[in-house]
Amino acid sequence: MKLRIKIKIAVAAIISLASIGALHSPPRAQESTQPSRSVWDGVYTEKQAERGKTLYSQGCAACHGAEMTGGEEAPPLAGPAFLANWDGLTVGDLSERIRVSMPPNNPKSLNRQHIADILSHMLNVNGFPIGKTELDPKTELLKQIRIEATRPKG
Amino acid sequence: MSRIIYRSIPVLVLLVVTLVWMTLGVQSQSRTNNQARINNWMSVHSTKNGEWPTYNGDLAGTRYSPLDQINGENFNKLEVAWRFKTDNLGTRPEYKLEGTPLMVNGMLYATGGTRRSVFALRADTGELVWVHAEFEGQRAVNSPRQLSGRGLSYWTDGKEERILYVTTGYRLIALDAKTGTRIPSFGKDGVVDLKVGVVYGTGQQIDLETGDVGLHSTPIVVKDVVIVGMAMKEGMTVKTHNNTKGQVRAFDVRTGKLLWAFHTIPRPGEFGGETWLDNSWAVNGNTGVWTQITVDEELGLVYLPVETPTSDFYGGHRPGNNLFAESLVCVDLKTGKRKWHYQVVHHPLWDYDLSSAPILADINVNGKAIKAVAMPSKQAWVYVFDRVTGEPVWPIEERPVPKGDVPGEWYSPTQPFPTNPPAYARQAVTEDDLIDFTPELRAQALKIVSQYKNGPIFNPPVVSRIGGPLAALTIGTLNGGTNWPGGGYDPETHIIYAPASNASVAPIGLVEPPPGFSDIRYVMGIAGQPFRVREGPGFGSAADFPQPPRRRAASEETAAAGGAPASPAGGGGGGTLVQGLPLVKPPYGTLTAINLDKGDIVWQVPHGDTPDVVRNHPALKGMNIPKTGQNGAVGLVVTKTLVIMGDPQVTGMPGRPRGAMLRAYDKATGKEVGAVYLPAQQSGSPMTYMLKGRQYIVVAVSGGAYSGEYIAFALPPEDVPANNERR
Repeated sequence: MKLRIKIKIAVAAIISLASIGALHSPPRAQESTQPSRSVWDGVYTEKQAERGKTLYSQGCAACHGAEMTGGEEAPPLAGPAFLANWDGLTVGDLSERIRVSMPPNNPKSLNRQHIADILSHMLNVNGFPIGKTELDPKTELLKQIRIEATRPKG
Repeated sequence: MSRIIYRSIPVLVLLVVTLVWMTLGVQSQSRTNNQARINNWMSVHSTKNGEWPTYNGDLAGTRYSPLDQINGENFNKLEVAWRFKTDNLGTRPEYKLEGTPLMVNGMLYATGGTRRSVFALRADTGELVWVHAEFEGQRAVNSPRQLSGRGLSYWTDGKEERILYVTTGYRLIALDAKTGTRIPSFGKDGVVDLKVGVVYGTGQQIDLETGDVGLHSTPIVVKDVVIVGMAMKEGMTVKTHNNTKGQVRAFDVRTGKLLWAFHTIPRPGEFGGETWLDNSWAVNGNTGVWTQITVDEELGLVYLPVETPTSDFYGGHRPGNNLFAESLVCVDLKTGKRKWHYQVVHHPLWDYDLSSAPILADINVNGKAIKAVAMPSKQAWVYVFDRVTGEPVWPIEERPVPKGDVPGEWYSPTQPFPTNPPAYARQAVTEDDLIDFTPELRAQALKIVSQYKNGPIFNPPVVSRIGGPLAALTIGTLNGGTNWPGGGYDPETHIIYAPASNASVAPIGLVEPPPGFSDIRYVMGIAGQPFRVREGPGFGSAADFPQPPRRRAASEETAAAGGAPASPAGGGGGGTLVQGLPLVKPPYGTLTAINLDKGDIVWQVPHGDTPDVVRNHPALKGMNIPKTGQNGAVGLVVTKTLVIMGDPQVTGMPGRPRGAMLRAYDKATGKEVGAVYLPAQQSGSPMTYMLKGRQYIVVAVSGGAYSGEYIAFALPPEDVPANNERR
């Protein structure tokens, strides 16, 4: 191959690699900066929400209401009153609250997959969009999803 | 030798006699001193001296402290002096911390956690000194009143110091205040089992493990007596009308020996028995005293605010006025004998429990000095009586009220209507009360109201029907008005301060319970919706749950008639929101100052930032809506110049992180003169004390994402005035 062509190929390769390198974010630092996703980014699947709906009706509806409207002993889990408490926090904060204290009489009865499924149902009822990948039960990953009451612009 | 001894006998005898006489004299002197010390310990430890020795500050229930270091000029400078998270008390963090701590002798005492642990902190630094917890097993799990409760009590005889409190499993414990260990000589090894002597029916002892009784409020310690009330499970959907019978008991504070018991449901031969027709006293219960009791130490009188009988909204199994349900009862401190009573709701059907401390106020009405008792209420009336005679200070008129039509029900033809002071929050949902931000929202509100049977105060519950009426529309019934935190009182100006929810819309509908669920003909429910057992707040939160109870699986969701989303924070029936907004217009929550000498409202302000749902609502875009206040039960503390109270909800206001505010109002004018940030809503009422020349305010916050914490505020050291007394 002629040297000029070799150089052109090399330069093209370098530019491509550099572009790929630039597009590829560096690995996330331990100290997390602003979480990159929000509940508006399609963070759960339809199937997962259906699983969550069943779990919800078995373990949560008795106090929080079949429609998540709340009751004498428990607050609503959908709508403005709920979002007022959680707007600006993360799905991980919510999952931890559930994991630690819900249901009140037996908080250890829900495993993290259950919680992720129930959360998917909650997100669904709250009107957040369905996505292609399931909500991962790992707390540290859930903490990377922001709860935002209003859809961000653009 | 023997002669010397012989002669000295008279001298010796004289010496011995003198010695004995002197010893006896010294003993009696010290006994007198002890007596004086015992009788005066409350004046030594008092808000007057900058301490906070009892839940409401003093036995009169005023929540008043004359401290003035923190004022309207420097409130905004307050910083967090120390904080105490309750996460590690009990088995997991709690989200409903409702205590008000005490401060005596430089120590702060409070309850916290899912096991209602008791702890002591150094009050200047929040340093933990000791913790005590009772491991009660199944009886705590079964308790109808869970979590940390409202606090504890302190006693001293000038030498010994004790902490007394009621556990979730309903036992009265006495602890050494210095070490947190049980006092062996109190009761049985530091414990009085309060369930012993609690009965149902015609006098059958309730089961010690499963029997329905508990308490959130604190015991009341006065002189050498400790007085304890009782609470039962919330009565919306209960299994039987033959529930635990209410009573109030007094015990010797040193030994735990029972001194007297007042039966709030009269037994045969006792006064008031004829108000339970058809012998219904024998098959009904509740009618407890679950809130704070007040005491006039000087007069030796105790004031009991009594709650609703079994089955809050259906009284067909208890015909008659049902004394002493929803009555203020005055009993003798020594004997527990009734001196007078006043029933504020006859044959209760609206859950108008007397919800807070009846405040003792020495007032001057039309030139006449009256030792009064003033009681804010869910109904948003302050009921004011001469506390010696029981005479209403202003006339209370028996007025006819509409009769309902629920099968089997008995109705009182009249109900008491105080003529003064005026009601300070909504008592009914009138057309004037409806949301009116836009004509469209108002039209929707009218449509919602048309599904219910509406009416003025004392609108009787109805059997729920698909297609209407779904329920009787009420407001302020279950949640008030003024609820458990109660109000406060300024003894210098004779002004009572009453916080109130003003948007607690509550549809009260009745349905027949599923077969086998209950022996009560009707329980709370909405036709067409799956039957739901309604528990009370904090249900199921006990530290130990050995196995998961079988939960009733909700049936397939049927189309709920008129189901609209989310009810406002604070619970109460759903289905009345208008696009997520409260059915009624603002103010949603208020603070009112009422002059008790005149019976006038002096000022009223909305309390709390406008909720996010209003501020961010698409239908209200661009509108300039004045501050609406927030619906929710919060309490206050009154000082020399301020009334201080935190928000019941969190909001995401611009300029600060999402959270709530602790606000200071000029107590004379109601002007908000300062506010400091709280990371979560106020969940327990604030208190204040002075220590080493610095004034502190301590308040409990919790809820949503934020687990329980006591936060202490004080002025930065450089802002503390130089001439303050050092304590």
